[in-house]
Amino acid sequence: MPSDPPSTADDPSNLGDDIDHAALARVMRTVPLGAGVLAGGAVALLVLGYLLIYLLVFIPRGTVG
Amino acid sequence: MSELQQHRHERRILGTEIAWAFGVGILIAATLSVIVFTALTKGVNPPSNVERIDPKTLHLAGEFAEHNLGTTVAPDGGVTVRIIATQFMFVPRCIAVPYGRPVTLRFATPDVIHGVLVTGTNVNTMVVPGYVAQVHTEFIRSGELLMPCHEYCGLGHSEMWATVQVMPESEFKPGSDGRISCARH
Repeated sequence: MPSDPPSTADDPSNLGDDIDHAALARVMRTVPLGAGVLAGGAVALLVLGYLLIYLLVFIPRGTVG
Repeated sequence: MSELQQHRHERRILGTEIAWAFGVGILIAATLSVIVFTALTKGVNPPSNVERIDPKTLHLAGEFAEHNLGTTVAPDGGVTVRIIATQFMFVPRCIAVPYGRPVTLRFATPDVIHGVLVTGTNVNTMVVPGYVAQVHTEFIRSGELLMPCHEYCGLGHSEMWATVQVMPESEFKPGSDGRISCARH
């Protein structure tokens, strides 16, 4: 029974050959800003939630130790 | 793309990552500062008492014998409450505590792991066989607060709860033996 021909993707030397360096450069110029805004916004919401729970729920519930 | 341009892009990415790491470092430092500040100024700490007790004999004699359970006011005014958590009840079922005064809650169990919280307060601890769980607190909500078991301890777990009766100072009058029970309504 004939077997499938080996895929070129299995050969590590072929990986990345099709990258358009100009397109990659364009993406790399904008990725840090977009990722920063997204991650910064998410972390800011998380910190805001933590502070609200800390100040409005945890502290008013009194001391414990 | 020239090598110079690529180098510039890589530096920009590196700068973004360093700025992000710096911001995260500040957040971690701020969070730790909040914890330390709360511990130092408000006395809020995780309950971390380590005290052994024999679960097989705790009901026979000593601190957790039946006559010693409930609220006791020492001659110096210190309020201590001793409670046994057992399948599927707290003994006693209701404890009286004063409003706005330091109170020490001490729990022990003769059977399995239980958990305790008092609603509307930060009181929350596990009760593990072989150990005394201790929580220092001050009740700043008056009225009756629910104290359920919050660790599944068996089929009757959902029926295991007690009441904390927070009394104003004018009503919190212990007897001559320093003991006080819940007021009946």
